[in-house]
Amino acid sequence: MGRRPRSVLRLASAVLVSGLLLTGCLQDPSGSRGLGVGGAGLGEPEDGDGRVQILGAFGGDEEANFNASLKEFEERTGIEVDYVSDQDFTNTVQLRVNAGDAPDIALFPQPGGVFNMADAGHLVPIDEFMDYDSLQSTLIPGFLDSARFQGRVYAVPMRMAVKSLVWYPKPAFEANGWNTAPETLTELYELSEQILKETGAPPWCIGWESDQATGWVGTDWIEEYVLRMWGPEVYDDWIYGRIPFNDERIVEAMQAYYDFSTKDGWVLGGAKGIISTPFGDAMAPAFDEPPSCYMMRQGNFAITFFPASIAANLDDEVGIFVFPKDADGYDGQPILGGGDLAAAFSYDTDTIEVMKFLGSAEFGGPWAEAGGWLSPHRTFDASQYPDELTRQIAEIAVNADVFRYDGSDVMPREVGSGSFWTNMVQLQSGEKTPQQAADDIEATWPEES
Amino acid sequence: MSTTSATPPPTAGAPPQTGHRHASDLPDTGLQPGKLLVGALGVAVTVWLIGNLFLAFAYYPQWFFNSKILMGILAIIVGVGGAAVFFWFLNMAIEALPRRLEHGLMPYAFLVPGFSLIGLMLIYPTIQTINYSFANANSTAYRDPLWQNYADLFSSSAFWSAIINNVLWIAIVPAVTVALGVVVAVLADKLSERGEKWSKSFIFLPMAISFVAASAIWATTIYGYSAPGQPQTGVLNAIWVALGNEPQSWLTIDTGRLNSLLLMLILIWLQTGFAMVLLSAGIKGVPEDTLEAARIDGASEAKIFFQVVIPQIMGTIVTVFITVLILVMKVFDIVYVLTNGRNNTDVVANMFFREMFTNSQSGRATAIVVVLLVAVIPILIYQVKLFRQQEAMR
Repeated sequence: MGRRPRSVLRLASAVLVSGLLLTGCLQDPSGSRGLGVGGAGLGEPEDGDGRVQILGAFGGDEEANFNASLKEFEERTGIEVDYVSDQDFTNTVQLRVNAGDAPDIALFPQPGGVFNMADAGHLVPIDEFMDYDSLQSTLIPGFLDSARFQGRVYAVPMRMAVKSLVWYPKPAFEANGWNTAPETLTELYELSEQILKETGAPPWCIGWESDQATGWVGTDWIEEYVLRMWGPEVYDDWIYGRIPFNDERIVEAMQAYYDFSTKDGWVLGGAKGIISTPFGDAMAPAFDEPPSCYMMRQGNFAITFFPASIAANLDDEVGIFVFPKDADGYDGQPILGGGDLAAAFSYDTDTIEVMKFLGSAEFGGPWAEAGGWLSPHRTFDASQYPDELTRQIAEIAVNADVFRYDGSDVMPREVGSGSFWTNMVQLQSGEKTPQQAADDIEATWPEES
Repeated sequence: MSTTSATPPPTAGAPPQTGHRHASDLPDTGLQPGKLLVGALGVAVTVWLIGNLFLAFAYYPQWFFNSKILMGILAIIVGVGGAAVFFWFLNMAIEALPRRLEHGLMPYAFLVPGFSLIGLMLIYPTIQTINYSFANANSTAYRDPLWQNYADLFSSSAFWSAIINNVLWIAIVPAVTVALGVVVAVLADKLSERGEKWSKSFIFLPMAISFVAASAIWATTIYGYSAPGQPQTGVLNAIWVALGNEPQSWLTIDTGRLNSLLLMLILIWLQTGFAMVLLSAGIKGVPEDTLEAARIDGASEAKIFFQVVIPQIMGTIVTVFITVLILVMKVFDIVYVLTNGRNNTDVVANMFFREMFTNSQSGRATAIVVVLLVAVIPILIYQVKLFRQQEAMR
């Protein structure tokens, strides 16, 4: 038996290997064609085949509303749009593109994914097929820049989230005659002091707990402070890593938030309450009778977490104002937000049509009526929103002097979804000083490779 | 098989041999090139056809009317049927060889396809992982020096904190699970038949809950936190506040690694049912006459339990212990969902996940799993050895 097994193995593996090699005969028809984006442009697009596949992260009701928003377009143009939702979008899109099975269009929830794809040469820059200037003129300023990579814009926004909002229980504020539109941070602090003095209850509801992602609410807070204290230019330098994370201005912003959030009696539950209260439940005590806390800073999606009795009567129960600017800081009202970005992988006439529609102010009517969706266009017909509150949010965004994308979504993942989160928790709990937290985050910022 | 029926019947009077009867009975026809060619070609064509069909599922779904169900049925039919056809041709090719070769080859021919698949799915990735653990973040070049990932790992305090937690998990969870399992199994054994059925079902119930769901349940109903003055919906805080204390955020308290212990409790809750079922079967298998004999000799119930029952179910205890132990070494879900390693609760598997998927640091991540792999190996070897001993005793 000495020699035989080896020859057997050799034979069998030869059979297997040849079998595997032979299977390679079939090629993927929609495989990567290599777009070869160069300085000379792409030239004329190919003719489309009447079908456009879109990959996105949202499903359920949102998927139905998205499809409803495309129905009229599909009937008008005869292009069939096929939306595929994937819970694990970030990984799936990477996988499909690497396997040569890219969708025609992908809806990225974060600019980071767009940058990765653009860097690998998979995306068509939008200036190839859209009028950049007219797009810029109807969008909220600053939005398009969030998809800019090495000088060119690779995606158009098709949905907006607004984060710089302060929510309050309307009946309580009206009964007490409190200021419902503080113009500066100082006025906001005075309002907080007044609420504490008159009611004895903490003025702020803050909740960070978000299972494995705990800490992201904190990153939003720091971003708000950086934007207000130092303005959009420093903000951009910061999120794109052009200044170190432990730059003294950033540390000062962290200190400002820390001082605010740890002021005696200002936040329900104190630091412990902030870290352990689920972000969706943070506002619930504000609807107690009398409220146990009064104000929450959170994005427009907070609506979905309100108790049913409140949600049914939103316009009467809940009021909002914009998280105000800093009188000693940047001279203008900045808005922190986010949004879904549509990027094209293929370059044919149908894809271009769909991209143009997604990027226009005409897109989204049915979705807006169903609720939970905001157009990133200033020219969007606001009468289509379902309630006064949503119209007010849209107005706040439209009137912003500058709009900035959520910075932790732009930063490298090991910071934006890693050390920034954990260090915020350690900052809030008092385990680390702002300087220590900033130093530790800076240490995890990946080196340029 | 049909190939044998085509050949002439065995010559009368040839003494039947033990073992490989049918092949030995036939006259050695030497090499049959035609049959060998048909067999080999058949193998290749079958593999090619199956492979292409599966690719077609992915590339041309319209050929199958975009129906996932149709594709699923086809995949099962062609997968199973194709495997049968594959081995039929393989058998034909081997039988076409001279007798001496055929005998030696046959078992290997049937083993190799399966073994190759295991190699492709298990051994190749393992070797590649070890290989990548010496490389950089995107596995494009080796680190300099080669062991840099390991050096970084062993010098990081976060890694040692995770190791301490893993050691705690290993020291506590399997032992407590088995102990509770034995206690429950013994006590349930003393209940009425109905009582035993119901109590066992209840204790087994958590087994059906996924780790993530269990974590969510415990996080909200047991460890939940509400601000002071608010109604406490978490059981632990409700009791704590009723005793006149401030509500605590339990999972952030790392004094004495309390938060890690609270996480372990969830796994124990999930696994006790599993331990109980196996141990209960073991206890039921203890022969009544051994207990009888001990009773006649005047042994107390405790003595009977520790000196008669336990030794007889030792094999089951060790098996359960090791199964839970291996599970604990890989523990990830509970930690990831509830704390993601915050407040000193990190474990090695969660650390790996973070390096791999959040930080995209393939080199550091693979180094962590290689350490985990090396740590698991002795236990695996011990378990296999023990299994062999038990087999030998039967």
